[in-house]
Amino acid sequence: MLPRIKKRLEWLGHFFFYCMLTIGGQRTAYFFLYPVIFTYVLGSRKIHRQALPYLRRRFPDHSRSQLFFDVFKNVLSFGKVLVDRGWMGLNQRAELTGTFTDSDRLRALIREGNGVVILLAHVGNWQTSLARLDALEVGVHALMEFDEQSVSKHFFELRGKAPFRIIDVHGFMGGMIEATTALQQGDLVLMMADRLHQGRHARVPFLNDQVRLPVSAYHLAMTAGSPVVILFGAKTGRREYALKIWDILYPGQSGLSREEELTASARKFAAALERYVEQYPYQWYNFFDIWQQ
Amino acid sequence: MNDLKKELKEMLVRDLKLQDVDPAGIGDDDPLFEEGLGLDSLDAVELVVLINKHYGIQIKDMEEGRIAFASVNALADYITRHQGQAD
Repeated sequence: MLPRIKKRLEWLGHFFFYCMLTIGGQRTAYFFLYPVIFTYVLGSRKIHRQALPYLRRRFPDHSRSQLFFDVFKNVLSFGKVLVDRGWMGLNQRAELTGTFTDSDRLRALIREGNGVVILLAHVGNWQTSLARLDALEVGVHALMEFDEQSVSKHFFELRGKAPFRIIDVHGFMGGMIEATTALQQGDLVLMMADRLHQGRHARVPFLNDQVRLPVSAYHLAMTAGSPVVILFGAKTGRREYALKIWDILYPGQSGLSREEELTASARKFAAALERYVEQYPYQWYNFFDIWQQ
Repeated sequence: MNDLKKELKEMLVRDLKLQDVDPAGIGDDDPLFEEGLGLDSLDAVELVVLINKHYGIQIKDMEEGRIAFASVNALADYITRHQGQAD
């Protein structure tokens, strides 16, 4: 009975925000977001369980009351991203303006013809940021989990077309065959690298603690001879975002053994992610205890 | 065809660095992945690159991979069928 009520309340919540977006637009939906998120953070233990593993490590000096407001800011930031997605989906004329720092570097890597592995994380509004990849003149393929696929499909179907082709990670050999072929053709392969689902991994430091991160992306790049670009997007204003290359790796060119190389690459990814959350502490949307998995 | 299978077995052991595996001990119909030779998805990546490098054949998608990587027999058959197209 309780799950049914919860589901209905969730549906009502979505319906309310879609109405607000349709009638009043993005600004009105943002306005209602504050009391809704505050009530949610006040009443839900689950959201604290999901957000605190990160926030406690990001703000080790914060008191319990400060952490409560950190959870609020984190969830509010996520809520704004959801509103943006809904707003852009419902209104075909709606656009976010943004910058893509180092896009020339990415174009130069593409011109080398060895394909490029692009690593992403559950930070910022990555779906909106990825729409910028549409302008590149190569195929873009995204290795995704089912839930990431459904969210992306939902977002891009509302917008009319997806800027990338989805490869299912639960397909034969985790989609790695298609990913390899795409790189051999000189295309881009996008992968989420901040959450381990299965397969080989490396233990690396992240926010003064150890996490296990997947290494398949680095292995793929090393084998195909492709560079790895760490690309994160951040919301920088009500209608603005910034897409930036945080690091470029060349796995396999350092003379280390394969295992050392994979660990070193995962370590560099974690370091880039640390720099990102240093700058955008509330745009971390990996609501999952990655330190305990 | 037998020479190709022998070559493939040697390539698997050498290039995938399979320890304690004798190429001659790999059965023609032994599965390459999981319960067979024990290869995983990262080995599949290397295999796709090796097949392209040595035979000029690109395994394009999961379905082709599923067929080609079933066993040494299946891989030899796949290479023989596609070699003409690769030239």
